[in-house]
Amino acid sequence: MTMLEPWMMLVVSLVIFGVGLFGLLVRKNLLVMLMCVELMLNGVNLSFVAFSKIHNSLDGHLAVLFVMTVAAAESAVGLGLVIALFRTLKTVDSDQIQILRD
Amino acid sequence: MIITLLVFLPLLGFALNAFYHFNSAARKREPSVWVAGLIASSAMVAAFVCALIAWARLKGSAGVGPVLEESLFSWMNLGALHVEFGYRFDRLSAAFTLVITGVGALIHFYSIGYMENRGSARYFCYLNLFCFMMLNLVLGSSLPQVFLGWEGVGLASYLLIGFWSKEMANIAAAQKAFLMNRIGDLGLLFAMFIAFKFAGTLDLARLAGFEFRPDVATVFGLLIFLACTGKSAQIPLFTWLPDAMAGPTPVSALIHAATMVTSGIYLLARLNPVISQSTTVLLVISAVGAATALMAAITACFQSDIKKVLAYSTISQLGFMFAACGVGAAEAGVFHVVTHAFFKALLFLGAGSVIHALSGTQDVFKMGGLRKRLPFTFWTFTAGWAAILGLFPFSGFFSKDMILHEALVAAHGNPWVFGVLAFSALLTAFYMTRLYVLVFFGESRLSEEAGSHVHESPLVMILPLVILAVASLAGGWFGVPVHLETAHGEGASSVSPAVIMALSLLIAGVGAFLGYRKYSGTIQVEATKDPFRVDEFYGAVVGRGVKSLASFFGRYLEDGFFQKILQVSGAAVDLGGNLFKTVQTGSAQGYLLMMVLALLGLMFGLVFGVNGYGN
Repeated sequence: MTMLEPWMMLVVSLVIFGVGLFGLLVRKNLLVMLMCVELMLNGVNLSFVAFSKIHNSLDGHLAVLFVMTVAAAESAVGLGLVIALFRTLKTVDSDQIQILRD
Repeated sequence: MIITLLVFLPLLGFALNAFYHFNSAARKREPSVWVAGLIASSAMVAAFVCALIAWARLKGSAGVGPVLEESLFSWMNLGALHVEFGYRFDRLSAAFTLVITGVGALIHFYSIGYMENRGSARYFCYLNLFCFMMLNLVLGSSLPQVFLGWEGVGLASYLLIGFWSKEMANIAAAQKAFLMNRIGDLGLLFAMFIAFKFAGTLDLARLAGFEFRPDVATVFGLLIFLACTGKSAQIPLFTWLPDAMAGPTPVSALIHAATMVTSGIYLLARLNPVISQSTTVLLVISAVGAATALMAAITACFQSDIKKVLAYSTISQLGFMFAACGVGAAEAGVFHVVTHAFFKALLFLGAGSVIHALSGTQDVFKMGGLRKRLPFTFWTFTAGWAAILGLFPFSGFFSKDMILHEALVAAHGNPWVFGVLAFSALLTAFYMTRLYVLVFFGESRLSEEAGSHVHESPLVMILPLVILAVASLAGGWFGVPVHLETAHGEGASSVSPAVIMALSLLIAGVGAFLGYRKYSGTIQVEATKDPFRVDEFYGAVVGRGVKSLASFFGRYLEDGFFQKILQVSGAAVDLGGNLFKTVQTGSAQGYLLMMVLALLGLMFGLVFGVNGYGN
């Protein structure tokens, strides 16, 4: 059984980030889009940890803690916004929420 | 302190009346003309008393040119420019100050009667403001202070001419006066610049003693003269004065007799040493003065409005004064200013009394036979008539003779000026007699409506008339010693004053006789006309020129150029907006996609070193 190499972690993080970005771009449901954002953040977190291991430094871990904190706050705010939007517009479909246009 | 006090007393009256006016307005009450008039008049009387005291002190003080000087504060202190704000009271200022405060006070009193039913505190505010500014003009110690007064009287006269502001014509007349004056003011401004550049000072006393370079002196003199033609209504800027008759009659008396129009003479007399440095300037002044005297006298013969006749007569008399300054006899001009202030104020106030009696009629062909019905006005007007004709022993006799005599014998005198002035004097006698006969003699030509309630004016109007009549009679004697002194002092010509006196009496007699003969019998109504059509000329040349220039700029510069710039830049913004509008879809994911693509582009650039990002 081979050791878990750092580049493998980077590949996984890239895949997670890519899946999140792709989902963010193509899915129309705001809740799903929020989850995709979380996915992207976690992808980045994984890459932080990987680089931390590569460089033998704790800075990456530190950054991860910050990102997780901010992500928690962000998801709370984001969910709140989505609920508020749903209450006024009766929809969570991003294609139908274009009221800022013109 | 006395001079500062005398200058600021009218300002105090102005402030009190302004307070009274606004206070009444706040309580929705009409301010009483008597209260306002008495405030204003007592301020003027107090100023007159101060002027007398100052004059007595001046007489008492020793020295060749005695001066009372009061410096209040340093007004401007900018680099090389130091201007003191202060007042200087010498013989020249004394003459003007006494006239302004004395005649001014009488006119204030008269206004109470004249404006009884149609005045307000506002009117007396303006009158006091006018006097304050005029005193600043003649007492100021430096050119900027003169300029302050100069502009101030322009403003006050604008307000007073357009006092009855409900009629468009009055407003137009006020604006005309203001604009004409502004043209002249430009001359004073430029003269100040020149004075500062070449003499380094704006102080009047130091300026008067300064020797300019000959060419600079000429330019300076001509600019000062331009300023004076504006204020004192000389060719080419005189057309505002006849129109200024739109104001209340006491205002005409104040502006056209005692104060504003004499400020040009004051400035010429004050700067006489500088003006005299250039013979060109003197020649221009005497030529313009004589020409104005003649032109205005001719025009006066064709007017049928009693105030217009007097207005043209004022212009003509101012021409005499200018001619006197031009031939190098400024003291004769100033002497005539003083006597003229008395008799012209008298004539204007008399005319006001007639207009008041006839409920607003101003056409002399609709008067006649008023001698019996307005006895006081008639007798006082007679004094004014005799004075302006120059009959012995009225004041005009002395001052006009002095000017005529100086025109021949003074240093820069010249027979042409004398001839023109003598002929103008003949015309003066003619048109004044015409006016006098048409108003007071012959059959009554009053309209039914005006004739039914002819009444002599109240005492408050008669009293100033009587005082001015006495002054017109006696005013000339003040100048007699000066008269004889200068007459014998200079031996440039062998013409003796006695010959001139006789000649001038003869001229007056002939003029009066011609006027009497023509207008004493049956009277044919003459239409008012302006034989020189100066207004039409200005309208055709200056007015149309400016108009066509404006329409040229309007069409080609405004529409053709500036408008185009705006249109093009507007169109460019519009196009850009439409172009980039398509990007703004409103879809969050669209933006996101663009963001991702842009980020990818940046990363691409970073990695492959496009545009130097890669290092």
